[in-house]
Amino acid sequence: MSYFFQLVVSGIVVGSIYALSALGFVLIYKSSRVLNIAHGQIIAAGAFITYAFTVFVGVPIILSFFISLVLTFFLAMSVERIFLRRLIGEPIISVIMVTIGLMSILDGLIYLTPFGTENFSFPEFLPKTPISIGGVSISWTQLVGVIITFVLIGGFSWFFKKSTVGISMRAVSDDQLASMSIGISVPRVFGLAWATAGLSAAAAGSIIGNITGLNFDTLHAFGIIVFPVVILGGLDSIAGAIVAGIIMGLIQQFAAGYLDGNWGLNGTADVMPYIILLIILLFKPHGLFGIHEIERV
Amino acid sequence: MAVNRWVATGNFFSSYQEEQRIFITHTDRLIFCVAVTLLFIWPLVFELSNKFMLVIDNTLIAIVAIYGLNLVTGFAGLISIGHAAFVGVGAYTVASFATVLGDRHLLITHGWPLMIVIAGFVGAGFGAFVGLPALRLKHLYLAIATLSFQMIFQWVINFMTFFDQGQTIPVGRVFWFTGRIVRRQHYLFWYYVILVLVVVLGFAVRNLLRTRYGRCLVAVRDNDRAADAMGMHPGFTKVYAFALAGFFAGVAGALHAYLYRGVGIESFTLHQSITYLAMAIVGGLGTVVGSLCGPAAIQALDLAVESLAEHAGALLPAALNLSTALRPLSFGLVIVLFLMFEPRGIANWWRIIRSYVKLWPFRY
Repeated sequence: MSYFFQLVVSGIVVGSIYALSALGFVLIYKSSRVLNIAHGQIIAAGAFITYAFTVFVGVPIILSFFISLVLTFFLAMSVERIFLRRLIGEPIISVIMVTIGLMSILDGLIYLTPFGTENFSFPEFLPKTPISIGGVSISWTQLVGVIITFVLIGGFSWFFKKSTVGISMRAVSDDQLASMSIGISVPRVFGLAWATAGLSAAAAGSIIGNITGLNFDTLHAFGIIVFPVVILGGLDSIAGAIVAGIIMGLIQQFAAGYLDGNWGLNGTADVMPYIILLIILLFKPHGLFGIHEIERV
Repeated sequence: MAVNRWVATGNFFSSYQEEQRIFITHTDRLIFCVAVTLLFIWPLVFELSNKFMLVIDNTLIAIVAIYGLNLVTGFAGLISIGHAAFVGVGAYTVASFATVLGDRHLLITHGWPLMIVIAGFVGAGFGAFVGLPALRLKHLYLAIATLSFQMIFQWVINFMTFFDQGQTIPVGRVFWFTGRIVRRQHYLFWYYVILVLVVVLGFAVRNLLRTRYGRCLVAVRDNDRAADAMGMHPGFTKVYAFALAGFFAGVAGALHAYLYRGVGIESFTLHQSITYLAMAIVGGLGTVVGSLCGPAAIQALDLAVESLAEHAGALLPAALNLSTALRPLSFGLVIVLFLMFEPRGIANWWRIIRSYVKLWPFRY
């Protein structure tokens, strides 16, 4: 039984980080209807910036975490400004293809740095002995990571519910024309949505980098899992992204814990999310919390 | 009305038959015939190295794959981020036959045209299955469905012992009427096979677009509700488009398997899918000419990047692998720049040149 609870705990740890990274993705989709295929690369970039400041420059890790958040904030904002601003009004299909191109560009830029091919791991700054309660153990890195994740998710929720910028973002996602008529600058909101998404992606990347170590392929795969998460949660629901993130983390851990090694299966944690994604697309395409689109084609 | 079909300076159609013609003027037909003849003759005239021939063959295979991608992305307006996986389905169909029957079985070596067709139909089956969400959903979701197919495909190949976990599975040399194709003739032989397929399938695509179904496809892309109101079924049209794309991809995959005499996972990854998308975009979405130009342009870019990386690599520290970095970088830049500044691709330049020549010496 303690094995089961161990899986639940690590599922929630990974899942909450999925939730955090999916949050930014949903935000971009909600405000501008763009699927950001390059989200995984932004996550990886955030993690690498944190590492670079911690180890190469020698800044305390907490400080470099915040530096990374700020830099990625501006990185995502400038991506929007340079590439996507001039495509407003173009067919949505070409905007999505631009983000595929962006994914490729960021890939190339990351391969230019040592991070593209080599593995790194963050220096230990927390006690090494894991906490264990009743046979279930959780490492300090995981615990702190989860706490930061939940604080950030809470912060974002407050931001959308109460702050003026958050409310204007929700207004734009609801109706662009109406929000323009009451004086909201729609392009500025798009930029802010991208920037906020970059911020949450960088936070998720840094936390997962601390837990699993830095490897571009792993971080990239981590970034692509936002797609199953957001589809499960419903593409346009922030609450859905959070719930689905945790569900997806649990599913992955259970798959790894109970399926691997049996019936000649291996690495099922990597493929389960995508199988679920295809099934959901076939039977319940609006996800758990998404708006039921009446229009069918 | 008797129009001079050699020097027509504009379109003067007076019936639908005239508009639907594959070649509008005799000059077009002449240019096409000369081009195809040259393509057939030139390997006999020039002495070519195997390495160069391999690049050419690769480009031609990519053209076959891009025909399919162009049908689904250009004509049906659905993004496919998993096209390399569909090509992989074709290649691994041949590989599975080779694993089960042995790589020198009669069916592999003598029945290769049959194998290519089988691979095409298997690809079509997978394409239709992945396209099934199209019955309920719009393009955004389909992009994600194809992406997830790509991930599932990679997992299946990497973790199943049947597929040798992504290691290269050998496929035997084929036989022709003259006997076994030896190493020296291998690339030349496949050049001709693929060239014939490129021409035949090119006509097939061009012809498809003037049939009822082809026009359905364009109608659904441009306005699905209007298409629905006119009695077409948008969902099935899209599923069918995916199946067709899968067919072309499967054929390309089988050719790839035979050309390299082996199948490994590294040719069918997400990066390759993006490369295919880059080819389609650079060539020009929704044109047959684009399907021909795009792969050629990207292959040329690839060669240029390779040689640049080789020259620059001498100056830089050895730890830095420049070509793995420059490839995605240049492909991504090409995608983004073309979408921003020339969304209609190289095919548009071809169109401009053609209309200039047609109207010369007048401006318009």
